[in-house]
Amino acid sequence: MINRRSILKSMGAVALATPVLSLPSIGRAQGAAGRVVIVGGGFGGATAAKYIKRANPNIDVTLIEASGRFYTCPFSNLYLGGLREFESIGHSFDELTDVYGVNLVTGWAEGVDGDAHTVTLASGDVIEYDKLLLSPGVDMRWGAIEGYDEAAAEIIPHAWKAGPQTQLLKSQLEAMDDGGTFILSSPPDPFRCPPGPYERVSMIANYFKNNKPNSKILLLDSKDAFSKQGLFQAGWDALYGDMIEWVSLSNDGEVIRVDPEAMEVETAFGEIHRGDVINIVPPQKAGAIADAAGVTNEGGWVPIKPDTFESQLVDDIYVVGDATVAAPMPKSGFSANAQGKVAAAAIVASFAGEDVGTPSWANTCYSLIGPEYGISVAAVYRVEDGAITTLEGSGGVSPADADEDFRRREAIYAVGWYDAITQDTWGSSPA
Amino acid sequence: MKANIMTNSTAGLSRRSALVLGGAAAVFSLSPLGAVANTGTWQRVDEVLAVLDGADPIAQGMVLDLPLVSENGASVQVNLSVDRPMADGEFVESIHLFAPGNPYPEIATYHFTPLSGRPAVETRIRLNETQTVIALAKLSSGAVLVGEQEVRVTTSGCLTDADTYDTANEFQTRVRAPEVLATGDIGEVLTIINHPQESGLRTDASGDMVPMRLIERFEATLNGEPVFSADLNRSVATNPYIKFHIAPQAGGTLELIWTEDTGESAQASAEISVS
Amino acid sequence: MRKSRLMATGLMAATLAISAFSGVAQAQDNGALLAGPCASCHGTDGVSPGSIPSIAGQPYAVLIAQLNAFKAGEIPGATVMTRLARGYTDEELEVLAHYFSEIEP
Repeated sequence: MINRRSILKSMGAVALATPVLSLPSIGRAQGAAGRVVIVGGGFGGATAAKYIKRANPNIDVTLIEASGRFYTCPFSNLYLGGLREFESIGHSFDELTDVYGVNLVTGWAEGVDGDAHTVTLASGDVIEYDKLLLSPGVDMRWGAIEGYDEAAAEIIPHAWKAGPQTQLLKSQLEAMDDGGTFILSSPPDPFRCPPGPYERVSMIANYFKNNKPNSKILLLDSKDAFSKQGLFQAGWDALYGDMIEWVSLSNDGEVIRVDPEAMEVETAFGEIHRGDVINIVPPQKAGAIADAAGVTNEGGWVPIKPDTFESQLVDDIYVVGDATVAAPMPKSGFSANAQGKVAAAAIVASFAGEDVGTPSWANTCYSLIGPEYGISVAAVYRVEDGAITTLEGSGGVSPADADEDFRRREAIYAVGWYDAITQDTWGSSPA
Repeated sequence: MKANIMTNSTAGLSRRSALVLGGAAAVFSLSPLGAVANTGTWQRVDEVLAVLDGADPIAQGMVLDLPLVSENGASVQVNLSVDRPMADGEFVESIHLFAPGNPYPEIATYHFTPLSGRPAVETRIRLNETQTVIALAKLSSGAVLVGEQEVRVTTSGCLTDADTYDTANEFQTRVRAPEVLATGDIGEVLTIINHPQESGLRTDASGDMVPMRLIERFEATLNGEPVFSADLNRSVATNPYIKFHIAPQAGGTLELIWTEDTGESAQASAEISVS
Repeated sequence: MRKSRLMATGLMAATLAISAFSGVAQAQDNGALLAGPCASCHGTDGVSPGSIPSIAGQPYAVLIAQLNAFKAGEIPGATVMTRLARGYTDEELEVLAHYFSEIEP
């Protein structure tokens, strides 16, 4: 491994000495360029795999992903709302393997030895790396809400990782009688997809409006303010009347106990709410492999160097996406995709012995309140004094006074965004 | 960075057993644990120095538990506790909380009594910007403990500020207190009052300053005996929330009073029985 | 096909970097990094698979005029692009316009 690195260094020097300054990839293309292992095939990991290969096809990239097909959290709410089929949010890794030459390992990574530069799979297989990139997403903090563990989630789903949990929630909504009550509990910051719980109740309200118009939605919140709040509340009024009731933290919205048998939740000040269908979005932390790799802080999240998204704690391990401490960037698929590109560029530059350029990121989060009613928040991020910041005067949310046409166009752009980012990440067209 | 390693180990102890332990530890509490804080943000904060009134604080035992990164500076949860062996008869009289990066650094002062059971409080505060939050604990012996923690304040890319306050529920209070406690047990009391806690520092939609209007005082008594009280300032978050503790010797009525700076007040009560 | 497109892009970028004045040249090297987030809505290399317009291979003059107009808030009914364009310096917008104008759609 040391030999390979020193060869790379000298190659980098040769490339620098030649006049084709802007084409170091030709220099790199003449030899093996290093081994990258990526854990997690979501927005962060799959994007990084693709963009590393695009920049330098001679870097050996191995993607470890537990499932053969990735279902996205973005647009899973549209499935719940009856706007999409489940398979339309699933994406294969075919283009990564067939077009870009990424090695796909279907398995569960459970251990990382940062000194030995190895990843261990649940199968016992060990894979060596020069650079490791983790895109582990989030894990639920089981037990943070009394009574809410993995077994309880089979009755009261979280549906905060798209897959069987999402399908379970959908089937419960379909089985519910008209006039029933749906309860959603929204967690404290930080958590995956800040507008997600609010888009979810919007989409479920859309489903109720069309199928079970006498039903109610109770949104119990562990926060006093939420993403795009004013826009959401105006949209709820406009489309769903008083179907959705939001209970803030200060109005006793924090759920502290769950009783799956009684289908009840209890709030901090002791109120009991009964639901016909209950969805708990619990407090979260970085996915388990981040802990195993020793890159998490005491809060359970991963501090990173913002220029490269390399771990602050362990060399040669890069971490992107929801698992990281990247605020003010939100924990979103868009952020993970943008971070995956920056980490990919940093890894490619590091193998070539070059400096990585100046990174910048953007984020746009679209939310659908109704099928033809979209809202958005957007921002551009860059590094200043070692921290990620936004530029004053840029970014922001959709105007409060926008007309129907504006909302309709943002709903169309939301779908355009999904088509583009999933193509950019996995290269696959939805089924 | 947080020195909260011992918090859990002492959490299950009653005040009495903690005091017994404290007695044993008192022998060395004056020297080896008595590290004087020679460097710290507190040294540059006039409001902190005013409370110290010349005392040299000990940089140990005043525990602040705050998030490392807050995505909403309008409401940041903070847990304050004291983790230090006490001499016989020594107890924590008060905890003073400061946000030096806010226009008015004093956040609140919390006063404890023997009925408090534990010198610990949980609340929600406003943080204007990234800064080091400071707490002082004044002990009955005259010693002062100081603790600090830096909090990075960002606004999450998806968060929009709610700059309106729904006055429909103003002065509504909520209380959750233990209904039954065993003698010697320490119970938690959760309280909240719906109130804008207007800082006098923000403008409304038409650009006019919204006048200051604060809940400035909170008092809890059990059968008329003081349990816990707090003086609240502008940096307490909207809808002041306070969790404190109670260690009743006998059952009775817990009465709570919130007082606004206009003199208006709200009251609530809860029955606690001791078995 | 994809690879040859990339090569072509790289070559053009190189030519441009040599000929352009130094400030832009320096930023130009950073073009791919700067353009990274654009692909999340406009598709990889700015080739859109959906309802959001493709930007690959548009003339530089068109792209820069459009970006500047977004930044100035002069495009009626614009949605996120006004908010995003204000996050970039004028020079960065030039780099982005160059970057996408050099890509063959």
